[in-house]
Formats: sequence, structure tokens, C-alpha cells
Amino acid sequence: MRAWWWLGLPALLVLTGVLAPLVYLVMRASEADLAQARELLFRARHLHLLINTALLSVGVLAVGTLIALPLAWLTTRSDLPGRGLLTLVGVLPLAVPGYVMAYALLAACGQQGTLAQLAGVHLPRPRGYWGALAALSLCTFPYLFLNLRGALRGMDGGVEESARSLGLPPWRVFCRVTLPQLRPAFQAGGLLVGLHVLGDFGVVSLMRYDTFSYALYLLYRNSYDRVYAAWLALLMLLITGVLLLAEAHLLGRRLFHRTGTGTARPVGMVRLGWGGRVGAYTFAAVLALASVIVPMGAIIHWMIVGRAAHDWGDLARALGSSLSASAPAAGLTILLTLPLVYLSVRRPSRATRALERIAYLGYATPPLAFALGVIFFSLRAVPALYQTLTLLVLAYAVHFVAEAIGPIRSSLYQVSPRLEETARSLRCGPAATFLRVTLPLIRGGLLTALALVFLSAMKELPMTIMLAPLDFQTLATNLWDKTNEALFAQAAPYALAITLVSSLLVAVLFWSQRQGVH
Amino acid sequence: MRQRSWTKAVFPGTLAVLSAAVVLLSGSMAWAQSLVLYCGRSKTLIEPLLERFEQETGIDVQVRFGSDAELLATLNEEGSRSPADVAWFNTTGALGAADSAGLLTQLPQDLLQRPAAFVPSSGRWVPITTRFRVLAYNAQRVSQADLPESVMDLPKLKQLKGRIGWTPSYPSFQDFVTAVRILHGKEAAKAWLEGVKALEPVAYSSNTPMIQALKAGEIDVALTNHYYVLRLLHPSGKVKLEDLEQAESRKALEAAQQADAPVKMHHFAPGDAGNLALVTGAAILRHGDQPEAARRLLSFLLSPEAQRFAAWSVHEYPVVHGTETPSYLLPMERVIMLSPAFDFEQLRHLDQTLELLREAGLF
Repeated sequence: MRAWWWLGLPALLVLTGVLAPLVYLVMRASEADLAQARELLFRARHLHLLINTALLSVGVLAVGTLIALPLAWLTTRSDLPGRGLLTLVGVLPLAVPGYVMAYALLAACGQQGTLAQLAGVHLPRPRGYWGALAALSLCTFPYLFLNLRGALRGMDGGVEESARSLGLPPWRVFCRVTLPQLRPAFQAGGLLVGLHVLGDFGVVSLMRYDTFSYALYLLYRNSYDRVYAAWLALLMLLITGVLLLAEAHLLGRRLFHRTGTGTARPVGMVRLGWGGRVGAYTFAAVLALASVIVPMGAIIHWMIVGRAAHDWGDLARALGSSLSASAPAAGLTILLTLPLVYLSVRRPSRATRALERIAYLGYATPPLAFALGVIFFSLRAVPALYQTLTLLVLAYAVHFVAEAIGPIRSSLYQVSPRLEETARSLRCGPAATFLRVTLPLIRGGLLTALALVFLSAMKELPMTIMLAPLDFQTLATNLWDKTNEALFAQAAPYALAITLVSSLLVAVLFWSQRQGVH
Repeated sequence: MRQRSWTKAVFPGTLAVLSAAVVLLSGSMAWAQSLVLYCGRSKTLIEPLLERFEQETGIDVQVRFGSDAELLATLNEEGSRSPADVAWFNTTGALGAADSAGLLTQLPQDLLQRPAAFVPSSGRWVPITTRFRVLAYNAQRVSQADLPESVMDLPKLKQLKGRIGWTPSYPSFQDFVTAVRILHGKEAAKAWLEGVKALEPVAYSSNTPMIQALKAGEIDVALTNHYYVLRLLHPSGKVKLEDLEQAESRKALEAAQQADAPVKMHHFAPGDAGNLALVTGAAILRHGDQPEAARRLLSFLLSPEAQRFAAWSVHEYPVVHGTETPSYLLPMERVIMLSPAFDFEQLRHLDQTLELLREAGLF
């Protein structure tokens, strides 16, 4: 490899971006003496938080899979009319921030809830474990769905056909051939869902379910105890670290691309019977109701209630701010991620795999702690960047690398190195091979990653609050500000704007996927 | 053909890099000539005020919004490199902590003399508005006659088991517990926490979802701040400063601020810890470089128009005598009497309160 810089630069940036906040946390934590540290760390409450966090993560993963897998299969492998609409149902919840989802579910249920007033339906107010489980599953299942869908589409139909020609019934083909091939996609999506649950504070605080991130959020937001907060943050990172090691261990060294000669066969479509269609539509309708219609209904309801007082100029400014931070962040994230993933897939070594893990660690660092670390170091190292958009974009990019890894890795796994080798043997240089052979083939994955990061950056709160330039209000900070003050009517336009921009992005994603592959 | 599809894939990325470059070049220290405010108060509540201040003085104000603790942590990490000139916090606790960290400067006497009450003995921050702790209740399910004279008697109301809402991790609740500790001693505070805990209260992360839950019938009483109840009963929408200049338009505004909810407020006996005043205050920061503009902003926040605005738009009590207030607020003299009186500087000792809450497994 001659051109080391194209890996070296992203790697250096990710390393600094992730490790600097860690150093900061260790510095703050070490302000406590040993006895104090012991007292802070070993509390019965931490065990309680740990168990709650684990229960919630496992629950959300299970429910998310139960939603995402059938949906992904229906949209890629069945002849169900209206599959495009179903895909939309699978992606649109990404456009709704978790706390909006939680507020909407809370507002819809209960004796005086909107469902009771409009339809006479009295659902108990969601709370605690089940409330958090419902809200989090509904807003994170798209991470699984997107990864699974991509993998199902990109699969070589020939493998399944061989299995069937050897006499396996369809459902056993699915279990023994299709499912195992979905493993990298499932793990990438599942890891994101898990990290999301570990880091969530909006939903758990509204549903009143005690998790690690909730306790940490309360500490940073409401108390002035930086030392205890640092210990708790490090404890949480330790848990995430264990999770990451486990995930890496599970993936191991497997091959998921084609090794033989010839071209891949498109996968066959399964014809759904009448019963299957009814079942599929019912499933989709219930899902759409819970994940899209209830939150959107709440937003539109508030929009109408407050129609007189909307401040459109403010909304336009916030929209501009959101776009100006999220778009460069998404682009930069992809530029950082692509070389990391390419190397870890094509030239797996301890170093490349470690780098990938480190990126996940950045994603798992509690955002407020991450932001404080960035404040501390940027003011000392590059004061000119402090409170500029550049710093915010850099922080976003480093933080969100983990979200981009999954889709890019999954698509790269499906590109056979043979193709690249062929190109090289035809006197194509390494750069040209990458640009002309690899890149077009992983375009779908790149666009998915771009969209995911863009959406997340647009919804991001804690880092935006702490690192944005002065007077810089995004859609998300406005939304948070107003929902916090219970000014739901004033909050509605911002929620709607986030959702609309996100949906637009989802549409672009759609269009590009149709153009690609087939 | 291949070349084209590649171009398509990279197009968004290239665009992003270009915009990032533009951002990098334009990133400059725009705050060098402006007044920088770190504001723990919500943007919705203060934006019209700042607009008016900018118009009247020609001083450009740039704001960072966040929670008190977030801003305080930021100020602490920034140290002497901080660009901030003024801090406006929601709680006495945060102001006290900022003072303890040596972040604040002494304020001139003419500013400190303007508020009618709550001026700290240190003279390093000045009260701007005040809020009060109350017991909110669902009037369809609880009769006010059954509610106690003192918050200390709340644990005796066994009939409310499972029906009490509180916010143990919220700063204003913590200030209240600190007041109980100062007025009644640590043991009494601990006994009170344990007593309420025995009634299996419902813990919320903040007051807004708690008031929504009270309205929805999930709980019957809630230990909260007065303005959350008023915002439910008198939603204010977007109030402009101009709307408050004439007596008639003030009346019209008040008439429009009506909503239906079965929620009412209970004040405890005068001087009870359950009526604690929660003072918001502002301070001039030691590492700021605009002390004169900072002083003018503080002075503006204590002006009649700003004080009046707080009362009508966010239903907080003014601290300057003679401010017109809507009829749904109590007379200012009366609420000052309701709150227990002691040196509010003492509320900065939050550590012991947090320890109490941790021992009780609440934080």
C-alpha cells in the first residue's frame, strides 16, 4: 500500500476524536481518591441499573427483529402489491425522534388521551419497562430493517436455488441458507439498536424506566457532580466495550460473498396466497398505525391547535442550521468510514479490526461527556475552532462513523474480491479499480449510510447544545426546547419539519436503490 | 457509463466536503465583539426580551442555551478561555455553584437595590424572577380541605398511596429538599423522604410530563412549581412585548389565556418549606470582556417591561415592586410572605441533599 494517507488521515481523526473524550473522562474520574471511587462505583443501585439496561436492550432487539425481519422479507422476497409503501413504513419511523414518539404515545393513551377523545379507546398510559420497550422498538427497528433488507436484496439467488434443488422445503431453505447469510446484517443493525438503547435518555426518562444512560443523563443535566458522572460514564463504556468484543467474536472470519465463477442469479419471488396477503397487510397496518400514524397524528393535532402562533421565519432559520450541520457531517462521516471498512473487510488484521471497534466506542461514549471532552481539548489545542460549525461537524462525523459502518460493510461483503482482482489483471490501478469497480457496486450501501447519518445528525441533541456556534438553533434544539416547556403547539412545526426532511431523504434513498443493482 | 455511475455515487460526498471546506474557512470568532449570554432559561421564554434589548441598545447578544448544569460544566471546562459574559440560571443552586467556582464578579449596588427580596449576601448575582413550589391536585378527585397545612405532613396522607407525583432528580425539587434540610434538619428531611417513599409516589423526570399525567388522571397530587399549573390553565402562546404596553391589550391577552383542566394549586401555610421561592438570577462572569454591556443587560432584565413580560408570558413572579401582573398571579407581597425566609445562599450546599437522595435510592 503506497497511499497510506487515505487510511491514515481518517484513522487519525477517528482515533483522536474518540480517545480525547476518553482521556478527559479518566482525568475527571481520577479527581476522586481511591476510597471515594470505590464508594461511587460499588452501589446496589448500579446493579439495578445494569439489569434494567440489559433487559431493555434484549427486549428491544427481540421486538425489533420480530418487526424488521418479516417486513424486510415481505418487501424483498414476496410479490405483495404495494411493497414500496411497506418499505416506507419500515424507514419512516427514523424520521421521528425517540422523545417525540414517547410524548405521542403518552398523549394518545390514558383517560384524557387523544385516542380516548377521538375514538373512545381507553388504552393504559404506557410507562416503565413496557412503555420504554414499545417506544424504543418502534423508533429503532428501521436500523435492523435497512440492514436486513439490503442483505436480502444483495444475496445470490443461486445458493437458495441449489438448496431447493437438493430437496429442502422453502422454510428450511430460509432457516438454513438465508438466515445464516443475514448474520452480518443482523449484527450490524442489532449493534446499532443495542448502542442506541444503551445511550437513550429521551424515551427512558419520559417512560420513567431507570437505565444507566438515564441516571447518567440526570447527573450531567441536573447536578454539578462531574466526578461521579465521569465514573458512571466510564462504567457505561466498559459495558459497551464488552458488548463490542462479544460482537466481534461472533462475526469471526466468515465469507459472505460469492467465490465461484459466473454471475449471481437474482433471487426468486415468493407468491403470497390470499391468506398471506391479508396477514401481511394487517401486520403492516398495525405497524404503520403505531410507528407512523400515532406520532404524526399527534404532531398534526398540535400543529392545528397552534396554527395562529407559528413563527415561520424562525422555522426557516432552524431548518437552514440543521441542514448546514447535518449534510457536511454525513458526507464527512462516509469519507472517514469507507477506508476503515474497506481495509477491515479486504485486509483484515488486528489493527483494522481494532480501529473499527474504536469507532463504535466513540458512538457509545455518552454524548454529553463526549461534548465536554471536545470542549476541554479544542479550547486548548485549536481555540480558533471553538464554537464553530466546523467543530460541530467534526464531532458529529467522528461520533456517527459507527452508524455508517454497518451498511457499507454489508454491501462490501457481497462484492467478490475476484472482480477487483480481474480489474487489476486488466491493468487497472488500485485507485481506478476501487473507483470503477468497487464503488459502483457498494453505492446502495453508501447511500444508506449517508441517509442514516444525516437523519441521526439532524435529530442529535446533547452535542448540538454543547458544541454548536452561539445563536445556532437547529430544528432538534427548538423542538426539545418547546416540548420541554410543554409548548406542544409551538413545537409541532419543528417536529413536522424534521419528519418531512427525513421523509424526503428516504424518498431519495428509495429512488437510488431502484436505479441500482438490478 | 461506469464513470457516470461512479460520479453519481460520490456526488453527495463531494458536495458535503465542499460545504465543509466553506464552513472551515468561514469559522471565525464572531463573538469577539458581541455580548455572550449563557442561558439556562428556555429560548422560548427569553427571545422576545433579547430582541427588545438589542433594538434599544444596539448591542448584539449571542446566546448559548442549555440546562444550568450543562452550562456550568461548560463554563468550568472553558475556564479563563470562556467567551461568556453573562450567565442567567434557573436555580439558586447553579448560581451558588458558579460563585463557589470563582466564576462571578461583584455587582454594583444600584443593580442589587432594585429587587424587593431574595438578593444574595454575596452580591455576586441578582434575582430576576421567582417561582414557587406548590402542591398541584386534580380537583375532580381530591378536595382541597383534605390537603395539609404543611408539606411536612404529606407522608400522613395514606389515602394518597400510589397517587403522588414527584420529580426527585429535578433541580427545583432538590432545592426544596435542601430548604427542608436547612429549616428542619437532616434527620427530618430524611424522614420526610422515607415517609413519602412509603406512599409509593410516581417519579417523573421533569415537571412537564408530571403535569400532563396529573391532567390525564395517572396521579392525584403533584409536588411541582406554580407556573407549570398556570401554563396548563392559562396557556400563553407567543406573547410580544408590545402587547403588554397598554392596559386594554393586557386585559384582552389575559382573557385569551384560558384553558380547561381539572387541575388546581394548593399553597401551604405561610413560611412552609413547601412554598419555597425558586429564584432565577443572572450574574456577570469574571472572564467576560464586555462588563459594561453585561451590566446593561442585567439592568434591562429588571426593567418594568421585562418584569411584566415574565409575568404574562411565562407566569413567573416579578421581583421588582410595582410591576403589573395578570389576575391569576397572587399579589407579589403575598407570595413573598408565603415562602420561608432564610439566606438563599445556603441553597448552594447541594452535595448533602444529593447524598440524602442517594441514600434514599432516589438519585
